[in-house]
Amino acid sequence: MTKPTRPILLGIALSCLVVATTVQAKEQLVLAIGGEPEQGFDPLLGWGQYGNPLFQSTLLSRGKDLAPQPELATEWWLSEDRMTWTLTLREDARFADGTPLTAEDVAYTFNAAARAGGRADLSALAEATALDKHTVSLRLKAPRITFIDQLLTLGIVPRAERDNGYSDQYGRHPLGSGPYQLVEWQEGEQLIVERNPYFYGPTPAFERLVFLFTGEDATLSAAHAGQVDVASVPPALAANVPAHMQRVIMESVDNRGILFPMQSANGEHAGSGAPIGNDVTADIAVRRAINLALDRDTLVEVALHGYGRPAFGPADGLPWSNSDERFAAPDLDQAEEILDAAGWQLRDDGLRYKDGLPASFRLTYPSSDTTRQLLAEVSAEMVRPLGIEIQPTGRHWDEIQREALHQDAIMFGFGSHSPQEVYYLFHSQHAGNGFYNSGFYANPAVDAHLDAAQAASGLEQANREWQAAQWDGTTGYGVRGDSSWAWLVNLEHVYFTDTCLDVGDLSLAPHGHGWPITTNLLEWRWTCD
Amino acid sequence: MSQAQPRLRAAFSLGVTALLVMGLVASQWLLGDSPQQMQFDARLAPPSVEHWLGTDALGRELWARTLAGLALSFWVGCLAALLSTLIALSLAAIATLSARLDALVSLLIDTLLSVPHLILLMLIAFALGGGTQAVIIAVAVTHWPSLARVLRAELWQLRQAPYVRISRALGKSRWFVLHGHLLPHLIPHCLVGALLLFPHAILHEAALTFLGFGLSPSQPAIGVLLADAMRYLSGGYWWLGIFPGLGLLLMVLGFERLSSHLRRAL
Repeated sequence: MTKPTRPILLGIALSCLVVATTVQAKEQLVLAIGGEPEQGFDPLLGWGQYGNPLFQSTLLSRGKDLAPQPELATEWWLSEDRMTWTLTLREDARFADGTPLTAEDVAYTFNAAARAGGRADLSALAEATALDKHTVSLRLKAPRITFIDQLLTLGIVPRAERDNGYSDQYGRHPLGSGPYQLVEWQEGEQLIVERNPYFYGPTPAFERLVFLFTGEDATLSAAHAGQVDVASVPPALAANVPAHMQRVIMESVDNRGILFPMQSANGEHAGSGAPIGNDVTADIAVRRAINLALDRDTLVEVALHGYGRPAFGPADGLPWSNSDERFAAPDLDQAEEILDAAGWQLRDDGLRYKDGLPASFRLTYPSSDTTRQLLAEVSAEMVRPLGIEIQPTGRHWDEIQREALHQDAIMFGFGSHSPQEVYYLFHSQHAGNGFYNSGFYANPAVDAHLDAAQAASGLEQANREWQAAQWDGTTGYGVRGDSSWAWLVNLEHVYFTDTCLDVGDLSLAPHGHGWPITTNLLEWRWTCD
Repeated sequence: MSQAQPRLRAAFSLGVTALLVMGLVASQWLLGDSPQQMQFDARLAPPSVEHWLGTDALGRELWARTLAGLALSFWVGCLAALLSTLIALSLAAIATLSARLDALVSLLIDTLLSVPHLILLMLIAFALGGGTQAVIIAVAVTHWPSLARVLRAELWQLRQAPYVRISRALGKSRWFVLHGHLLPHLIPHCLVGALLLFPHAILHEAALTFLGFGLSPSQPAIGVLLADAMRYLSGGYWWLGIFPGLGLLLMVLGFERLSSHLRRAL
């Protein structure tokens, strides 16, 4: 009777060993997905606005359908006058040093972020108050429909008054209640993080993550050499998948488009010293003609190798976007008519001129970005038959900010889960403020629609106003209105991942090829022995 | 015969290089927009009868882009070498004015020679914001010390020559001595020096652009073509790197041989 039990016990022991070995087989993942934040991992300065804050937790998180779901907050409600949010926090949330996360930390985070003036726009917040240890109240200055987005994106930091509290150096030494904690950050090289033992959620499958901050070329080389488990690759270079890897496509609302300077050059300079205005792009006829001439299907095919879809607005396919804003096909004849009618005459050198001014301007893109370079060069080729010369020019970001930001057309990328971004891009209040409305776009009718959307009592009413800002039948920021941008494409984010890595069901990514793939990091599993 | 040979070789090299340069310059008139023209249905096409050296990711003919890149490198190299020679000549001339100035120029030469070229190039090009002008200035500013050292030594030697001493004894001004006696003697040195600098200048221009600190990625420069080729190399698109690289190699070798023959002949 005892003999048969021995093999069974041995079998069970071996099975346990195998399971244990399987779990321990891959404790570390190496990721080359870019996205190193210049200002560090500080949510008050913008960290986490595009994707997963990793070190910190947010009050709410987005489900696969982008709907809010509990995270740090277990319950939340908005007062009838839409002026006060009240949230109840979970009681088991702890920072990575083991200390509890309380309503005071949440109140501190929101008040400090409002003062910091970073990418998290909390200008609508009057005051955040801790009602008790686990209840917090956020009082607004005026109703704002997009305020809930801050509950979804702002990572909670420890209040300054406590031990290991928030300080100026927080971005370099973040402490949060997220699934991972920082071990080492060698700026420009790599970031090493390990599991936060006090994380309230499920234990991540990987003990340690190493993020390599390499350029496109080095990332691709590392992927082919088998040195990384996850690599983000530009679409143009995604054709050849390394032997041990698979291609993973992540749908996104990440777009690329050309922002036009809207003012004429009259010698004005921004606070940064950058010159403002461009006489060619300030002419609506030029902007409309370019929008009509661009063949977006070809752009997707040539510049993105098919990994994307045409774009006609900043939020195509999302509820707050006007779905009528699109052209069936490029129309060069109509574009030429518009230019002729506006007085842009074609000369023998192949260029159009108006009052001696040639239809020529720079289209600046960050020189390290292959996708934007290809889009800029192909766009230039497409408008050349019109007699418009676009000069694609690659520059470093700091040079773009110093020189080009307000006087060159810029190949930008945006895309958010929130209509708040539309507000930033087109409201005159944000003209010249950072990258968003760097072309100094201003239209009082559009401002009115955007303000009405923010003050709306419900999502449906707000969406109608967001759409009207794009085109209300008379005016708008879109292609039928001011044509303030030439939106080109919506990207699919392409990654090479190890064939043994299961990244689960990926959600819809916002702008920022890289970090968004880590949003469902807790679902990632290693499937090989 | 033995004395005539170096001159013959130099003349031959000069003739061949002049022809190549004329061909390169003429091609720019003939090429027109060819380096930029895209053929979306012929992207990354290998070399063939229709596409002599193949096409790039946007269907642009590589032969046209290589020629345009070589021409761009040629002009950048010419201007940088000229500017560098002028700096070298000016500083060598200044060094002859007094012992203190000579020490200062020597210190400057030694300091610059002790810093690796490429690092200094990158720093200057980055500080100037990149682009053609920045590359020309960066290459010019970093390549003059060797020539300046030669010219300075030559000038000090010439100052002791009898006809210079007599000229001074007769009360001729420093300026007269400099441009009347010394500079004419230095012209052959400057010519050879500039020709020797030229291959260095275009190689460094290409390196700087390849590393992303030089010309815009949208300009058909050799460094840009090689950097693009690196990205597609793993896909087997060998022609993207081979032909621009060979073109650069041939141009550098051509000018290197010419300067070498001229040095011997002069």
